[in-house]
Amino acid sequence: MIIVDAQAPDMPIVFANDAFLNMSGYRRDEVMGRNCRFLQGPDTDTDVIKALANAIANGEPTNVDVLNYRKDGEPFWNALQISPVRDAKGQLVYYIGSQVDVTARKAAEAALEAAAAEQALTAQQALADRTALLHEVDHRVKNNLQLITSLLVLQTRRTLDDATRAALQSMLSRVSAIATVHRRLFQSHDLERFDVATFIRDLMGDVSSGREEVEIHLDLERVDIPAAQAAPLALAVNELVDNAFKHGLTPGHPGRLSIQVRRLNGHYVIEVCDDGPGLPEGGAFDQGFGLTITNLLAQQLRATLTFEAGEPGLRAILKLPAHG
Amino acid sequence: MSRPLSVLIVEDEVLLAVELGFLVREAGCVEVGHALDSADAVRLAQDLKPDIALVDVHLSDGPTGVDAAREIAEQAGAIVLFMTANVKRLPDDLAGACGVIGKPYSDRAVRRALTFLARCLQDGAAPGPPPPGLALSDSFVGRWGVDQTAPAA
Repeated sequence: MIIVDAQAPDMPIVFANDAFLNMSGYRRDEVMGRNCRFLQGPDTDTDVIKALANAIANGEPTNVDVLNYRKDGEPFWNALQISPVRDAKGQLVYYIGSQVDVTARKAAEAALEAAAAEQALTAQQALADRTALLHEVDHRVKNNLQLITSLLVLQTRRTLDDATRAALQSMLSRVSAIATVHRRLFQSHDLERFDVATFIRDLMGDVSSGREEVEIHLDLERVDIPAAQAAPLALAVNELVDNAFKHGLTPGHPGRLSIQVRRLNGHYVIEVCDDGPGLPEGGAFDQGFGLTITNLLAQQLRATLTFEAGEPGLRAILKLPAHG
Repeated sequence: MSRPLSVLIVEDEVLLAVELGFLVREAGCVEVGHALDSADAVRLAQDLKPDIALVDVHLSDGPTGVDAAREIAEQAGAIVLFMTANVKRLPDDLAGACGVIGKPYSDRAVRRALTFLARCLQDGAAPGPPPPGLALSDSFVGRWGVDQTAPAA
């Protein structure tokens, strides 16, 4: 602790306790009568000194951490608190300065800051690595899907048997549905959610071109499902559309296909309607492979799949819980 | 009917290239060559002067498709169409290409895109909005007067 005379020119030290002398390394006769700026050194922050000078000029108390230097030149962090002392008339007479050596605390703080900065850098690098990996995996998945698609098309080209061709084409349409899902998932910014309406638009944009005579109506509410459900739902919708084209809409004849997506009482309802012959006598279909896998996918999605008379045609209704 | 358009295929996956060859013929075009890497692509483009070059970004010599595409567009004067799984990696100007089809594409999407491009090239103007799956670069939208205001299907 020191006391300086606020009224004498250049505010000399008029009292210094032993703790101050121990901290600064000076003898008492070396500090008495001097302004305490002799504690400053080359790395002392001039902004801190200005703030200190301001407070003193305005007669205000203040607290600062300032880098000071011992007599032997060793720097130390000084947590300095200065308080003005006034006489009965309110006249400023002394300043009391109390000092605490906080070098250890400052060093700990600096170490902590450095560690935090390093951690932030590591995290940033990890994120960049993860993003790069994600892009690489996405790229490979897309290329592999493309390869599978092209293989199926190539083999279809060389297959003369109608039944085999039809089977290959069905598989191609399934793989394409999955490919459309994958393209969409990575195009969106949200990798967790899958936009059903956009998928159906993509799917129909691709399918419809082969069947120009079919009039297509889409009435699609925006519905997002978890990405994990995207592929099974896409496959199920693809089967229903494929079924409508195969059985509901005769090639070369005008027809109408409509798809509706809407929310209804905590469910998402997807309807695929054609204007073809509708339900067979007795109301049940032969369980073909397409229908088998659609039923299995519906089970997986905890959805119900029903077929109704569309008046005219067939109405397939897939109803899945909105937060399944 | 004017002469069929010539197409150069730049693709390092041979099976994809073979299948693309079929699609090119089905769209009424002629495949004039196939390159697996960027050097071959640029050389073939300069020798054969194709109307259209279908260019993948990843070739057998690395991610060199973008530079190759720019050279093919600027020096050989071909209309370049990217076919890539890396749509996000393409520069904003598409390196002078007219557009991009994202992989995995369907055979229909490619056939329709080629038919659309053939019409654009022959008429100097687009017959309508681009088919689904084909995204055009801004400069070609302007060049061919493509109507982008068409309602989404």
